[in-house]
Amino acid sequence: MSPLLYLILLPLVGAALAILGLPARRVAIAAAAANFLLSVGLVFSFDFTATGYQFVSSCSVMPTLGIAFTLGADGLSLAMLVLSTVVTLAAVCVARPPKNHPAWFFASLLFISAGALGAFASVDAFFFYMFHELALVPTFLLIGIWGSGDRQTAAWKVTIYLAFGSFVLLIGLIGLWLAMPVGERSFDMRVIADQARQGALFLNDTSMALPFGWGTIHGVQVTYLLLFLGFGILVSLFPFHTWAPQAYASAPAPAAMLHAGVLKKFGLYGILRLITPVFPPEIASQFNTLLLVLLVGNLLYVGFVTIAQRKLDLMLGYSSVMHMGYIFLGLLAWNPIGLSGAALMLIAHGLSIAALFALCGELRERTGTLDLADLGGLAKPMPIFGLLFGFATMASIGLPGFANFAGELMIFFGAFSAGLPAKTGFNNFQITTVIALWGVVISAIYMLRAYRQIFMGPVAECWQNLADLTTVPRLCVIALIILLLIAGFYPQLLINTIAPALIRL
Amino acid sequence: MAASIPWIILFTPLVAAGLILLFGKYSKPLSAGLAIAAAGICCVLSWWLFGQPEATEPNQFYWIQISDLFSIPIGVTIDPLSQLMLVVVNTIAPIVFVYSLGYMAREKGYWRYFAGLSLFLFSMLGIVLADNFVMMFIFWELVGVSSYILIGHYFDRDSAAKASKQAFLVNRIGDFGFMLGILMLWAVTGTVVFRDLFTQIPLLESQGVYLVIACVLVFCGTIGKSAQFPLHVWLPNSMEGPTPVSSLLHAATMVAAGVYMLARFFPILDVVPPAREVIAWVGGLTCLFAALMATQQDDIKRILAYSTISQLGYMVLGVGVAPTWDIPMFHLFTHAFFKCLLFLCAGSVIVSMHHEQNIWKMGALKNKMPFTFICTIFGALALSGAGFGPIGFSGFYSKDLIIVWAVQNAPILGWIAALTAGITAFYTFRLLFVVFLGGPRSDAAKHASESPLVMVIPLMLLALPAMGAGWPFIERIFFHVVEPEHVPHFVHYVLFALFLGGLGLAWAFYARAEKDPVSIPLFAHRFYIDNVYDWMVKNIQGGLANLSNWADRWVVDLLVVQTPSKITWVCGYVLRFLQLGNIQAYAFFFAAGVVGLIYLLIAR
Amino acid sequence: MTPTLADYLLVSGILFTIGLTGVMLRRNIIIIFMGLELMLNASNLSLVAFSRYHLTAVGLPNYSGQVLVFFIITVAAAEVAVGLAIIVALYRARQTTHVEDLNSMKF
Repeated sequence: MSPLLYLILLPLVGAALAILGLPARRVAIAAAAANFLLSVGLVFSFDFTATGYQFVSSCSVMPTLGIAFTLGADGLSLAMLVLSTVVTLAAVCVARPPKNHPAWFFASLLFISAGALGAFASVDAFFFYMFHELALVPTFLLIGIWGSGDRQTAAWKVTIYLAFGSFVLLIGLIGLWLAMPVGERSFDMRVIADQARQGALFLNDTSMALPFGWGTIHGVQVTYLLLFLGFGILVSLFPFHTWAPQAYASAPAPAAMLHAGVLKKFGLYGILRLITPVFPPEIASQFNTLLLVLLVGNLLYVGFVTIAQRKLDLMLGYSSVMHMGYIFLGLLAWNPIGLSGAALMLIAHGLSIAALFALCGELRERTGTLDLADLGGLAKPMPIFGLLFGFATMASIGLPGFANFAGELMIFFGAFSAGLPAKTGFNNFQITTVIALWGVVISAIYMLRAYRQIFMGPVAECWQNLADLTTVPRLCVIALIILLLIAGFYPQLLINTIAPALIRL
Repeated sequence: MAASIPWIILFTPLVAAGLILLFGKYSKPLSAGLAIAAAGICCVLSWWLFGQPEATEPNQFYWIQISDLFSIPIGVTIDPLSQLMLVVVNTIAPIVFVYSLGYMAREKGYWRYFAGLSLFLFSMLGIVLADNFVMMFIFWELVGVSSYILIGHYFDRDSAAKASKQAFLVNRIGDFGFMLGILMLWAVTGTVVFRDLFTQIPLLESQGVYLVIACVLVFCGTIGKSAQFPLHVWLPNSMEGPTPVSSLLHAATMVAAGVYMLARFFPILDVVPPAREVIAWVGGLTCLFAALMATQQDDIKRILAYSTISQLGYMVLGVGVAPTWDIPMFHLFTHAFFKCLLFLCAGSVIVSMHHEQNIWKMGALKNKMPFTFICTIFGALALSGAGFGPIGFSGFYSKDLIIVWAVQNAPILGWIAALTAGITAFYTFRLLFVVFLGGPRSDAAKHASESPLVMVIPLMLLALPAMGAGWPFIERIFFHVVEPEHVPHFVHYVLFALFLGGLGLAWAFYARAEKDPVSIPLFAHRFYIDNVYDWMVKNIQGGLANLSNWADRWVVDLLVVQTPSKITWVCGYVLRFLQLGNIQAYAFFFAAGVVGLIYLLIAR
Repeated sequence: MTPTLADYLLVSGILFTIGLTGVMLRRNIIIIFMGLELMLNASNLSLVAFSRYHLTAVGLPNYSGQVLVFFIITVAAAEVAVGLAIIVALYRARQTTHVEDLNSMKF
């Protein structure tokens, strides 16, 4: 029995106990803490020198289709599992029990956590997909019942949008499955990667003529596009990003932390597992221009939209969308530098956005408004809050010393060296890198302006007696920031863990 | 053991900053003590290191390494350039820290201040010791955040909050160019380590225009950090921070980091004349315009701020025209001392004037604050380059050296720089005369008194190098300067004449003035550049942001979300007309369907 | 002349059509029910006719058709029971046997 199974079951058990009537918050914190300790234990018993998956357990579910409930962890999954448990613990600790149905509130949080953990621990693509779907419904409940603002619209929008994205992804997955040789079809990611390496995929490829004389399109290209766009919708790739800001703004803070910090990474993790090891660069590079244009939309266009925001929660939501542009750039670079940078950025962004949303939620509780114009000078009554928000802001804009910088640095270097050699002139990757660098300035503009408008300047009468952060949220945010600092001061630790898992054709 | 000394120098202030962050708010003497102790340790070790020979072995560990493709080390270089800069930074820092004890004695946020200063010291030493571009970039950004923290020290003031944000953002714009330049250099050579880059100069030279662009982009970092035109607007606003901060960061060390980086990068710049020309022109023009702007400012710190921009322009000009890095670094060396001195004197005046900073509210302070007055005279003489022949104050040697090199290699710029020297004398003595001579122009001026010893002693300590740091026997310890060969002697006479002219004009206008007799709005409003930037931010950035926001709601969301949802709704609305509610209609549909099915099955 | 299979099928078809027309055009539920019964019996007739005219190898009728008739009669009886119960309940609820008045499922 793999310890990973317990990792997934603990939150589910916690959720069940909460629903059955035990004190919800305590059960949730206990489950999350136990999960966190279990994941730390996994880290210590992990063999960092071995390649391939460890803690594997497999149980065949549908042999004819090649579906088996396989769990396993290699460097990348381990890092993502630890990220998930950390953010879950922080989210559950920061969560204030709502007045209506607190048990279901905490149960939903734990369900999301179970879904994320299951997705990252799965080696089978089918269950990978299924666990993500598992996490969609609790998100709907959390936003729709316990959210704020226009929560019903946001809940419907995000659920249907993400379900549609998952649907596109499913078609892509089926296409990938069909591309495998007939007798050996399986959803197991290791089998898929092996076959790709041997060149056994897409042997009986079909092709179709496109209208308007655009040439022919092959099955492999369609599958690549479907998979990438499917994952992209789940990760708010431009122009499929409009679900994210409203969802994060309306969601209660713990839900936003979990979704932006952990669940969104599912799509990027999927790209690292199902696209980069499977499709050869010749196929991938045909769509580079299109995808680069889309991610420039993420960086530049959404960056400007973020600057225009006047409310903190919407601003953080849009900024989260913008940062996905960096990760996509690293992924498209398709070289070890860019991929490592993207993986590092996954973790760094998850931690920093979780810290920011936690603080945003605390602010909303205290002041009832997140409108930047109404706030001001809050560093005086709440110095610790101001300090921690400052740290989180600096992390998010990529200040060296935090993991985000290391990730962005590697992404820039990786993207700049992708494509043609630099000597023969600027190619589209390099132009995109220039734009991505300007994104660094844009993110500084909006985060610093928000920080200034919230915490600096003279303090208004009504805010003079605000209470500072209490111990538990303070410790949670400090823990997240310390993790960011550790990963930022010594990123080689994470790179060594993740690098063996970043295979590409 | 000797190999770990640079690391101790680097990390001691960081440890101090961390300790102050955790424990400083419980005890004021603790915060100050930790910071000053760290600075003192660094000072002693830097002087010891100065005597050591240059380090030939790389002293580094790998920060990021991805097989052979990509490796970023964190390492220290010990060579004449870094040894020199270490001495400068670590000598001025403890003096300013001690001075802060007096200046900040009654201010709030004591621990924040010393933590910020310690963080700054750590970051600055990182820039000085860096052995590769990425490490320098890392500490470049850290210096920027320390500056952000310190400028925003009085964060409940709107102006301070705005200034700190502006400083960080303008620096980031420079960093954008800097990083792009680093990327371009890396793309060709595969390394960011300075030592390795210098061995690949032939390869770089073969890139032609690419190398020129890369060098100019790297220079962008200097434009941001050293407040050259057009990214100079943050430096005068940074005067919102406490005066010791202005003296340490925004006069002596942080802004000089840009010039230091160019000096470090010099071997490559040497082979790219077009880039050097760009650098020289930016430096020369900044020099002139900043000096002009300084002549009409009324805030004592802003005059010194524009003066700093102008002097940095000299240093940058020096990088562009001189054959080795010694010449601009010499001016950096002397400038650090005399500008820091001038700022600390200004701080002394400000404190005894109860934080009044308008020079037209001061006056007749020479009898009430004699030590400050004398130190300011030393500083003013150094800044305006007083001297002739072999004798002079420190600024005389370094500034004139740059001017003569400019006259030889880029004559137009050389004469612009010479003219600026005269303007420098003018505004410097304008400051001196208005603040210290004449009659008291306000109550605070009438009741001013000398500052406490803890502030005056640092002034006197700095006055000595302000006077003597340029003297040949001292200069020879640190630098190997060469004089240009083809400069006519009359240049020196012209420079001396310009100095006297500036001094005389200032005496004529300001020695006994009650209010400013000269009024040039163009200079007073800083060539309206600030207004242009404000307009750009509000309209171009704001416009783009609002347009994107509108587009996100009405174009993207409309197309991707609203359209399918409305289509679905419309389809649903249309299809429900099939629900006739009439059983017989259903029966009819049923029968028709069966007939159709039979037809399909049998007839086809 | 002896009737052929086609004649029986014709009669069956006419009966079926009459029943279908009744279902589609008559307004009273009971009459619609009678139409349904007529359709069922029409199909019974055609089944018996097929059974009688498609002889097996030994010359006996193919009894599958007749067995199916029994099934249909049984099902028709059950259906009538349930259907009349529904009609009674419907009448109690709506006080009408007009099929056009039962349109609460209309959009």
